[in-house]
Amino acid sequence: MKPPLFEYHRAGSTDEVVGLLAEHADEAKVLAGGQSLVPLLSLRLARPAHLIDINRVADLATIANGNGNGNGNGLTVGALVRHRAIERSDVVRTANPLLADAVRFIGHSAIRNRGTVGGSIAHADPAAELPAVLLALDGEIDARSARGTRTIAASALFEGFLTTSLEPDELLTAIRMPAWSTGTGWSIQEFSRRSGDFAIVGVVATVRIDSSGNVAEARLAFSGVDQVPVRATAAESLLAGATPSDDLWKSAAHAAAAPLEPGGDIHGSGAYRKQLAAVLAERALREAHDRAKDAR
Amino acid sequence: MTKQSVRLTVNGREREGSAEPRKTLADFLREDLQLTGTHLGCEHGVCGACTIMVDGDAVRSCLLFAVQADGCDILTIEGLEKDGKMHPLQEAMRDCHSFQCGFCTPGFLMTAYAYLQEDHEFSEPEIREELSGNLCRCTGYQSIVAGVQLAAVRLGKRQEGASS
Amino acid sequence: MRFVGESIPRVEDRRILTGRGKYVDDLTLPKMLHAAFVRSPFAHARIKSIDVSAARATPGVVAVFTGDDMRRFCNPVSTSLAFGVKFPEFYPLTSDKVRFVGDVVAMVVAESRYEAEDGCELVAVDYDQLPAVADYDDAIDPTKPALFDELGDNVVITNAPVSWGDVDAAFAEADRVVSASLRQHRVAPVPMETRGSVADYDASSGELTYYASTQSPHSLRLQLANTLGHPMERFRVLANDVGGGFGLKGSVVREDFCVAAASRELGRPVKWIEDRNEHLIASGQAREEMVQIEMAVKADGTFLGMKAKLIMDAGAYPNVPFVSAMFVGLMQLLMPGPYRMKGYRFESSVISTNKAAYVAYRGPWEMETWVRERLVDIVAHEIGVDAAEIRRKNMMLGAPDDRLITGLTVKGISSRESLDRALEYIDYAGFRKEQEAARAQGRYLGVGFATFIEAAPGPAEMRPGGGMFGGERAKVALQPDGHLVVTTAQAPHGQGHETTLAQVAADEMGVPFEHVRVVHGDTRQTPFSVIGTGGSRASTWATGATIVSTRKLREHVLAIASGMLEISPEDLEIIDGVVTPKGVPQRGLPLAQIAMKALMDPASLPPGTDGPLETHERFTGEGITGSGWSGGTHACTIEVDVATGRVKILRYVVVEDCGRVINPAVVDGQVCGGVAQGIGAVLYERAAYDSEGNFLTSTFMDYLLPTSAEIPHIEIHHLETDPDGAFGFRGVGEGGAVVAPATLTNAIDDALQPFGSRVCDQYLPPATVAEIAGGASA
Repeated sequence: MKPPLFEYHRAGSTDEVVGLLAEHADEAKVLAGGQSLVPLLSLRLARPAHLIDINRVADLATIANGNGNGNGNGLTVGALVRHRAIERSDVVRTANPLLADAVRFIGHSAIRNRGTVGGSIAHADPAAELPAVLLALDGEIDARSARGTRTIAASALFEGFLTTSLEPDELLTAIRMPAWSTGTGWSIQEFSRRSGDFAIVGVVATVRIDSSGNVAEARLAFSGVDQVPVRATAAESLLAGATPSDDLWKSAAHAAAAPLEPGGDIHGSGAYRKQLAAVLAERALREAHDRAKDAR
Repeated sequence: MTKQSVRLTVNGREREGSAEPRKTLADFLREDLQLTGTHLGCEHGVCGACTIMVDGDAVRSCLLFAVQADGCDILTIEGLEKDGKMHPLQEAMRDCHSFQCGFCTPGFLMTAYAYLQEDHEFSEPEIREELSGNLCRCTGYQSIVAGVQLAAVRLGKRQEGASS
Repeated sequence: MRFVGESIPRVEDRRILTGRGKYVDDLTLPKMLHAAFVRSPFAHARIKSIDVSAARATPGVVAVFTGDDMRRFCNPVSTSLAFGVKFPEFYPLTSDKVRFVGDVVAMVVAESRYEAEDGCELVAVDYDQLPAVADYDDAIDPTKPALFDELGDNVVITNAPVSWGDVDAAFAEADRVVSASLRQHRVAPVPMETRGSVADYDASSGELTYYASTQSPHSLRLQLANTLGHPMERFRVLANDVGGGFGLKGSVVREDFCVAAASRELGRPVKWIEDRNEHLIASGQAREEMVQIEMAVKADGTFLGMKAKLIMDAGAYPNVPFVSAMFVGLMQLLMPGPYRMKGYRFESSVISTNKAAYVAYRGPWEMETWVRERLVDIVAHEIGVDAAEIRRKNMMLGAPDDRLITGLTVKGISSRESLDRALEYIDYAGFRKEQEAARAQGRYLGVGFATFIEAAPGPAEMRPGGGMFGGERAKVALQPDGHLVVTTAQAPHGQGHETTLAQVAADEMGVPFEHVRVVHGDTRQTPFSVIGTGGSRASTWATGATIVSTRKLREHVLAIASGMLEISPEDLEIIDGVVTPKGVPQRGLPLAQIAMKALMDPASLPPGTDGPLETHERFTGEGITGSGWSGGTHACTIEVDVATGRVKILRYVVVEDCGRVINPAVVDGQVCGGVAQGIGAVLYERAAYDSEGNFLTSTFMDYLLPTSAEIPHIEIHHLETDPDGAFGFRGVGEGGAVVAPATLTNAIDDALQPFGSRVCDQYLPPATVAEIAGGASA
């Protein structure tokens, strides 16, 4: 389990990265935290001719209030920000408690010390936490190439298993999260066989309630149920304006799970995953609602 | 493929070598610097045996390339002992019979070392969770958990006899 | 006695804790090369051609060897411990067919492991795929091809039924006959250090030195020298620190032969360190058996008889030196356990499939305990008798004339006491009430328990003259400074023998613990043992050998001292390394003085005492007290989240009887480690193949070892029966792994009784648990 040969480029700036990407594009892979890429190299399941190491590009490693859309309450997280830095960031905890909680489910301390936000999103593992969070919250990413900069909405980003709409010459430079509305409760629920494993099924949810206590808005997204993270839009519509009750969470969770057609693997069948999706969605909605009440 | 030079500080000493870019930091430490205390148990980032400290953080040395560590400050299991005296963590683990075959030991030590740098509760459930990124096949973990907790007490991080 | 019975800190720990351990991968020799293997991607295929030209041209590659090369370098792999199975002709590398995913097709030797792997990628093998023999049914299907053409079919051995007592009468008397088909699944030993070795052939002396991660250096030397046709006076095996084995590293694997042969051919040291991917795919797996069983009982729960039919899936290539089929004999012997019955019949067969070899794994006979203890619970449920009561009713108490139905005496066995104590510690009665209250709230709690017995060393009639392997030897030598060197036949890989044997020797000789060095792992020095460390032997056999050898040395020393002091040996004792007349401590003679005199001036010694101060005795079991049986009862309580299938272990209690305890912390470590492996087997671990023989769990992302967050705190209680027996030490290494699967599956089945549960498969991942609880199919 030793990596194949590659040419190593240590980039010192974003400009340098996009320059190298322009030159090598299909032949290159960006090396950020390496927690997913290096195992693939060691198993010789990936063999890029060029590795572009972005770990020394300091301006990719910042966390900032504001999402660049003139909304001071949003959050912009540089691609190179380590999971551990998010875990420890008061800025993130305040601006996006769901993101702050979600990173704690990623691997273990030693993994989070190296793993990066950009890496988790760009790797696009359908069982991973951050893609589901980005999707649930309608986040965006910034993509830069020698051709320019563009913004990609989460809903347009995840195209398939380990596949995004990023072009081979594009670098994911940051993720941007919209403002966190006051009074929004959140939850992340995962079922994994062991502590720190990728979830068999994961759910992220937010619930915001209005002054009468009804659901003003709910968001729900799954990981581990398809080739990409899945937003439960039908359930979200069902929840909007509804009066909270145990029955509501249950029926919304079933509505969320109903359209899913997860595949099976050694950890369980598609039917089992679907069952988990409903169970976890219900638990997530209930917890998110409890937090929304507490926040009022 | 041409080798690249790597200069780093390991256990307080400046070290220099050269490596193909594909050489992992773990292999570089073991083969080029003869620091064989760091072990490789899976080479895909799961077992944690290769855990070392890089610039103050516990990381998997099988998932870093040596060239990436150029300029870094590294601590390995060999650096825990000072002037022939074991670190209190090592002593606690000896006193608790924490390990059996010793192969996972470097990873557990470095993971626990990093954990003990911070302020935590060091309760049994918390220790179990924190150590869950390291695999041991011999002990059932009980003695390792006990060793970390004893070290926390001896290092003044936890009250003796605190609950759980 | 100053050291035996104490949790003395381990001698091994300082080096292990400071990074100074010496594992095989830590060894670097001048001009050393590195090997990697080309492995089959198919379960079953004919090799049409192999082209190694591109691999040979790869930078850094020094040599590429194929099966044809190995046929020139080696004899076929063979064993004298085949136990009657059909043994095919095969070589270290295959050349005609591949027989499992991971089968070794070619070996690339290069200047670095990186370059060796580069070379492997360029070996082009043209395969013609064959239908895979993937399971029990395939193996007896005559339309499926035989793995080895010359064997004709895939049944390795069929053992005729063996009966004890009057089976037919027992079944005729029954009010009920309860039958079940019980299966366990492939799991793997998975030591944290993979297999590996460095072979160093010295062309000047013709000597081959083989440094290995092994738990049996002598068996490795025998096998390697035979297969390589290498003279044994020039073949040495060395094992230093070994990072776990659990039975696996008692096997001699085909890669071993290749590494040794490559070094001899190339005249340079060759290192092979198996990577985790190879390890999971090819190192070997264990435990795949199925048993169809019937138990005849009276309505009140009295056991009358048992009939069992077992099939073992031994994988593709036979394990050497011990073929796995031999474990069936132990399963047969122990399956009825410590329960009275009137008749028992057992028949078995072993089949071969396109999977990795079946290897020994911690308590390789474990199926007997799982089947029996699961069946007892099934019977209890079916006839409506409490699971604890049915055990109490049928369990032998260890009376002088008590015998297992298979004939072995069990006088003094403590099964019943262990059961009672375990139930008391787990608060069985209280938990039943708690369970009932929880069920009323829709929460599902369960309690399970199971009892095992282990012949470690077994009763006296099992081991005349030292039993199957003739007991065990140890050498003990007095050094010029009065220190002792104990050279053991054990090959420890985590068991702490450098500590425990030193404790024993120090007490026996009367020297400080720190003055005893335990040496192991060098075939040029250590006494022969075909097992090395395995089979829970060390506590009894290695300890006994150390005691008898130390005792003899002590007598020798006292005879010399008696002459020097002119005091009868009976009036001398050794205290802290000083031979002292009883009651006259000031007249002591330090052992160093005696040792130096014996070395420098042997002519002055009393007649008959001028031989070397070294002993080399064989312990045959004489003087062993007690029942000879290790054993105990485990009990656990759990809660099941029926919506997800998650099983949470609330408490896990162990009541263990391994006789007199040498080092309690070491013993507890063995118990906890075994329990963790048993829990792993039930909830997490499965070496999975699909119906085409493709292997599905080749990384640690798929083969799930339990972590510290999954394994509960384990409460251990010792029944130290016979605490003062001079040779009262019994084996403890395997029991935890043997009984934990039964304990946990019984608890899960108990928790799921409201859903009509009847657990017959040992593997209970959350998906399966949720399915039993009425959820989606797993």
